[in-house]
Amino acid sequence: MTSVIEIKDYTWKYLHTKAPALNGINLMIEEGSFVGIIGPNGAGKTTLAYSIDGLVPGQYNGIKKGTVNVFGKEVEAYGTGELQQVVGVVFSDPEAQFTAMTVEDELVFGMENIGLTIQEIRERLEWVTELTGLGDLLLKPPYEISGGQKQRVALAAVLAMKPKLLILDEPTSMLDPVSRKKIFEVLRILKTEEDNTIVVIEHSLENLVPLADQMILMSDSEIILQDNTSDFFKESGLLLEKGVHPPGALHFFHELSRQGLYDGDYPLTVEQGKNLLRQITQ
Amino acid sequence: MTDKSVYIQVNDLGFSYPDGTEALKEINFEVIEGEFIALIGQNGSGKTTLSKCLNGLYKPTSGDIVVDGLNTKEGTIVQMVKRVGYVFQNPDHQLFNNTCWDEVAYGPRNIELSEDEVKERVDEALIVVGLPEHLYGEHPFFLSKGLRQRVAIASILALRPKVIIVDEPTTGQDIKQSLEIMDFLKNLNEEHGHTVIIITHDMPIVGLYARRVIAMAQARIMADGPTREVFTKADILEKTFLAPPQITQLAQADPSLGFDPGILTVDEMVEQFKGLAK
Repeated sequence: MTSVIEIKDYTWKYLHTKAPALNGINLMIEEGSFVGIIGPNGAGKTTLAYSIDGLVPGQYNGIKKGTVNVFGKEVEAYGTGELQQVVGVVFSDPEAQFTAMTVEDELVFGMENIGLTIQEIRERLEWVTELTGLGDLLLKPPYEISGGQKQRVALAAVLAMKPKLLILDEPTSMLDPVSRKKIFEVLRILKTEEDNTIVVIEHSLENLVPLADQMILMSDSEIILQDNTSDFFKESGLLLEKGVHPPGALHFFHELSRQGLYDGDYPLTVEQGKNLLRQITQ
Repeated sequence: MTDKSVYIQVNDLGFSYPDGTEALKEINFEVIEGEFIALIGQNGSGKTTLSKCLNGLYKPTSGDIVVDGLNTKEGTIVQMVKRVGYVFQNPDHQLFNNTCWDEVAYGPRNIELSEDEVKERVDEALIVVGLPEHLYGEHPFFLSKGLRQRVAIASILALRPKVIIVDEPTTGQDIKQSLEIMDFLKNLNEEHGHTVIIITHDMPIVGLYARRVIAMAQARIMADGPTREVFTKADILEKTFLAPPQITQLAQADPSLGFDPGILTVDEMVEQFKGLAK
């Protein structure tokens, strides 16, 4: 497999801050993988996302050491707008990316800017509207719809450009549990049917954990834990210490294990948890 | 009911926006002084609209809301802000002054209190929310989201409303910050006698803090009761597009295992497991 993201000894300090926002980052993400990044606010998660999209150093002043390669090429070596055709970022604040007066124009804006034909734009608009369930909202102004709907529009606008690498920064923070599930269902489809590489930054882990191949824990500007998802949660003690709560079912089994009442794998879903409970209570 | 009195009475409330959208239909409930309530429901179910009716920002299209003996249709803004305070989902929607101190003073000045009284209330509110003193003169936009939220809450507290409604207090916060904000609201509720209503999508938080849940769907109240009870009503929750916290789902997954379907926290589940294992 080829690596989509290859970061070596990367340190970034914003101009007016004392400490670096990212410190000694080494990271490889392979094509087609689904990666979850978690950690407390201020750990550097969003700056890492910006670094992969070229917003850092492109739009910010600061000092950079080390290298950030995306699709085999250093981020700064891409021409203006070139990197953004292969990397799509959905921001945690959807309003930060809105420019148009209707949801439909919002979805079309990006596609027009990468020079797609009208026919192609029509097809993708239909695809993405269906996928994210925005059919009824197309003619509404983006600032008049609810917070949750805004997040779906923000995601759809980025998806429409079909980026090979998709980075989502807290894409469901304003959503109710069912809409949250729907977004992750969209991500599951992208993972299994479209072969995208997907990086998700999240605080709420219930939906992320069953999908992620790999998890990364960031704290104080560094990556402090990185592993495949089931091995990652064996370190739940460290996660809790860093203020990250594993999903309820997993947390329960970790607590049993900590108290010497259980010795085995942790469940990633309620279903797995139920089966494990059946085994150990028999 | 209890020895505490009904503070808010909502009778057959209906509300429509000027474009005809019916945002609230046939809403009936009471809020007793000292309650800690979570208002939950899908995006667009009417939670925020209901809050804005409770503090008199929106007047009912039909039915009535009586807050501490005052009908919201008749209450003036000054009367209402002393009764029910509403903290916006996004603190940036309500912060606009140049310093945190002025931000918090804005409300009290508007209800025409004397400068001495304003000062007393602002200092008190800022102490309650725990904003470090060296930040009083700072511009709110230089603070983190968590601190901005505290300033927003302080600006409401300074009006000393009996009821505080906080719209999505934990959105965009990590778990540690979320627990801090919720512990703070719990303290307002238990130590300072405020009735607290939170609007949230975070079910584990509801399980940990709220004693009563009101679940809304499609402009109506679908369930209203003690948290444990509401979370066991799977059929109703499905209608409201909600799900209980994952730990509650695990407890309910196989009834033959014998766990109480109303379990709300990991610790409760561990305790029960020990009991069942004996």
